[in-house]
Amino acid sequence: MQDKQFIKETLLESAHAYRAGRMDRRSFLALCGMSGVAMSAVMAGDAKAAADHIVMWNWGGISEECHGSAIGVPFQEKTGMGMKFDTSGPLEGKIREMVDSGNVTADVCDGDLFNAVSLGPTGHLEPIDYSIVSKDKTLPQYALEYGISIILYGYAFVYDTEMYGDNPPKNWADFFDTETFPGTRSLYKWANGSLEAALMADGVPGDQLYPLDMDRALNKIKSIKDDSIYWGSGSEVHSMCISGEASMAIIWQNRGKNIEMDTDGRYKLVNNQAMAMPGAYIVPKGNPAGREAVMKFIATAQEVPVQLDILDCLGMTPSNPAAFSEIPEEQQPYAITSAQNIDNIVYNDPVWWGENGGDAVNAFLEAIS
Amino acid sequence: MTQTATGGLTLAGLTKRFGTFVAVDEVDLEIRRGEFLTLLGPSGSGKTTLLMMIAGFLDISEGDILLDGASIRDIPADKRNFGMVFQGYALFPHMTVRQNVGYALDVRGRPRAEIEARVDEMLELVQLQQFGDRKPGQLSGGQQQRVALARALCFAPPVLLLDEPLGALDKKLRVEVQDQLKAIHRQVGTTFIYVTHDQEEALSMSDRVVIMQDGRIEQLGTPNELYERPRTRFAAGFLGKSNFLTLDDGTYALRPEKIDLAPAGSINGAARLSGTIRDITYFGAIQKFMVAVEGRDDIEVDVDSWRNPHDLSVGQKVDLAWADTAAVKLEDT
Amino acid sequence: MQALRKHISPGWLLVAPFFLVVVVFYLGPLLNILWLSVTDPEPGFGNYSALVTSDAMARILWTTFRTCLITTVFSVAIGYCLAYAMVHAHQKKQNIMLTLLLISFWISVLVRTFAWLMLLGHNGLVNNAFETIGLIDRPIRFMRNELGVLIGMIHYMVPYAVLPLMANMQTLDPRVMAASRNLGANGVQTFRRIYLPLTLPGIVASSLLVFILSLGFYVTPAILGGGKVLMVAEYISVQLLVTLKWGTAAMLGTLMLIGVLALLWIMTRFMQLSAVFGGGATR
Repeated sequence: MQDKQFIKETLLESAHAYRAGRMDRRSFLALCGMSGVAMSAVMAGDAKAAADHIVMWNWGGISEECHGSAIGVPFQEKTGMGMKFDTSGPLEGKIREMVDSGNVTADVCDGDLFNAVSLGPTGHLEPIDYSIVSKDKTLPQYALEYGISIILYGYAFVYDTEMYGDNPPKNWADFFDTETFPGTRSLYKWANGSLEAALMADGVPGDQLYPLDMDRALNKIKSIKDDSIYWGSGSEVHSMCISGEASMAIIWQNRGKNIEMDTDGRYKLVNNQAMAMPGAYIVPKGNPAGREAVMKFIATAQEVPVQLDILDCLGMTPSNPAAFSEIPEEQQPYAITSAQNIDNIVYNDPVWWGENGGDAVNAFLEAIS
Repeated sequence: MTQTATGGLTLAGLTKRFGTFVAVDEVDLEIRRGEFLTLLGPSGSGKTTLLMMIAGFLDISEGDILLDGASIRDIPADKRNFGMVFQGYALFPHMTVRQNVGYALDVRGRPRAEIEARVDEMLELVQLQQFGDRKPGQLSGGQQQRVALARALCFAPPVLLLDEPLGALDKKLRVEVQDQLKAIHRQVGTTFIYVTHDQEEALSMSDRVVIMQDGRIEQLGTPNELYERPRTRFAAGFLGKSNFLTLDDGTYALRPEKIDLAPAGSINGAARLSGTIRDITYFGAIQKFMVAVEGRDDIEVDVDSWRNPHDLSVGQKVDLAWADTAAVKLEDT
Repeated sequence: MQALRKHISPGWLLVAPFFLVVVVFYLGPLLNILWLSVTDPEPGFGNYSALVTSDAMARILWTTFRTCLITTVFSVAIGYCLAYAMVHAHQKKQNIMLTLLLISFWISVLVRTFAWLMLLGHNGLVNNAFETIGLIDRPIRFMRNELGVLIGMIHYMVPYAVLPLMANMQTLDPRVMAASRNLGANGVQTFRRIYLPLTLPGIVASSLLVFILSLGFYVTPAILGGGKVLMVAEYISVQLLVTLKWGTAAMLGTLMLIGVLALLWIMTRFMQLSAVFGGGATR
């Protein structure tokens, strides 16, 4: 997954350089003589020239299109500012590196809310301006000092109906029960969702998950290790299901919907006990477009029509409670905050993850490798 | 020296073809036990191909090779027990001199003590006793050559094949090693089959010489026979120098040193030809005169320097004379 | 200035600009990594002590070492056979083989990795074929485990193993092998006692190259290992990008660097490095 980002990033960098080169050919050529310097200098120049638009750092794919039409269009109508993309994926380490290098080229990152907890206090993020952004337009626990949840995605699971047609798995306990439900499981490699699922399977109530009992969770994970494979990217788990390699897989609920479609319903999504993950917008310290502009951008993304557009386009669930009741009929089974699902889901705690995520990921990696 | 193994080889209609090219063409040859036989010829004459067939590195297209009467045609190279000294020596660079020399006995699984004793014996034979623990890379060319010889003789092969073994040495060292080789041959009594394109080497070392040309034997004989009575123009020209005189009854080979030369009219006996000195070259021991004779090619006359009483000079008229036996009638005019 | 000239060859002036570039853009970041490894998150050798105290670290290093070692052994063994066949084939065949080898060089590691999934994966060509002819009733697990990682890595590394071996074998004098046969050694003896020792520099060079390159493998273990084969390179990337433990990442990077340098140093004690990297000396 990260390699793809690396390739993309490299392409993007050269594209930036090329663009800048057209703008200021002479200095570009001079800088080229000192290749290493050239790249950063050119990138810096590019960023400073970016005051008339917001640069969103997201994960590429169709999200570029969806964010453009759902947020970019109304935002331009409101403010006259455009929207551009860096699709290399705002991993925490990359955000930190960008801010540390003093060469900030992105205004808003389509990240996780726990990023705001870990990167905020270290001075890598701009605080959210709640005079522009509304705390009421998201779930109350998901409006934090350095980040705010715009959408929710969920960790749910899919199962192979050909394998378990008569007696399908219904919850995490079934997912972890390889005796009653034999077959290969696929879990997320970076621990998220997998740990919570393991605890729920082990009998921990959904509202008492945090702080995570790591030992208990890892023991549960290890108990099905022989039957488990682990995925690192959405496309990877997708192909594991398409090929029939995994009989059950922990999965992002929107990806699960795609798998249902691509397998003509052979794989089925189970949203019971799905964990709501707050996808958040966070702002790197010293963002090029300025704090006010980016806060307006975030506020735009909170609007109900925008949220519904994102749901329609990306399958990401609204986090603005006002949008919950507007979720259309065909999205009811998939959107985790729909009337159909909202009573059966649990909520991720970004504070715990922000403070303990690094250790949790390492412990998880150690357990599965 | 206790080495007694020696063998006679018979080549019968031996032929080697590479595609349509015939490298060795129906060679019949009797190689006597213990003799030093040289295969002499220019490159491409088939002498090395012949040697490689004897060694077993090349398949025989037709004919047979017999060792003391028994065919060795189907015996692979590693079972023929022929020693060989390769061009460039082909020593094992990662082994010491002792390991190189003892290799043949080692792979035959002989006891350590026997190997060590035999290696000592061989190193003494080639006078390299004090170099036993060196690697070949630490030796001079001449020393490497002797290691190769010791290695090839160590297992007392009945036949030793030598492929231009002195080719890589400079001229002075070569003469020295020639003498050593001859001495070693006398000492061990093994049949030596020696390939070279150097006529002096062939003449000075061999019991018999085979002159090869285009995959065939041009002439076979002792060095003296070949030099004194070459049968063909090629043999006469390749082994030493020769003038070729076409007379009424055929072509004659006439060695330059067998011609007497004197100012016109002053020669003892009947002058055979008269001409004009066109060029004189001084070689120290001899002087070479090129004499232009009307209607013929220039004739070369070699005169011992000490015998030059006439104070001849270029442009002078001279008479040439020689004994009846000096001119050899060639078969292939 | 005059005195300076005496000590510094003017040749250095020619390479000075490049030298400077190397220092600034290569050594600089390298030192930065070293620095980071003893300063992040706090000054001291805490990152390094994790090597001793953390089972996880030891396991990852062991997995990396083991995987690289097995990869090296098989790549060099296969590479040796290929190189031998190529060196001793006719020129025309040799060119064809070399071209095929280079083609596999040019295919991206990502493509090659996914190709293995298609071939040996759960629903891959091989499993499907076996199932169709009734040889097996459930797919064999070639991929998403250590076996898969090894298959992918060995396949990627074989061309790297071949080239130094070929270079080495081409310098050998065939007459040396002929001499061995002539002296009564059979094919096996000649190979074991002559050919193999003479190709040892090639084997060492090829092993070093493959082992060092394997240490940095990332994509293949990540994809073919099914998450279960965690090697250092991937772990470093996780520490950098996900868990933000840059000190740990720097420490592991430093460790890899030292390991590679130590490996090269040990080898120089046994043979000239120039011989290892194609100097062509056979002794």
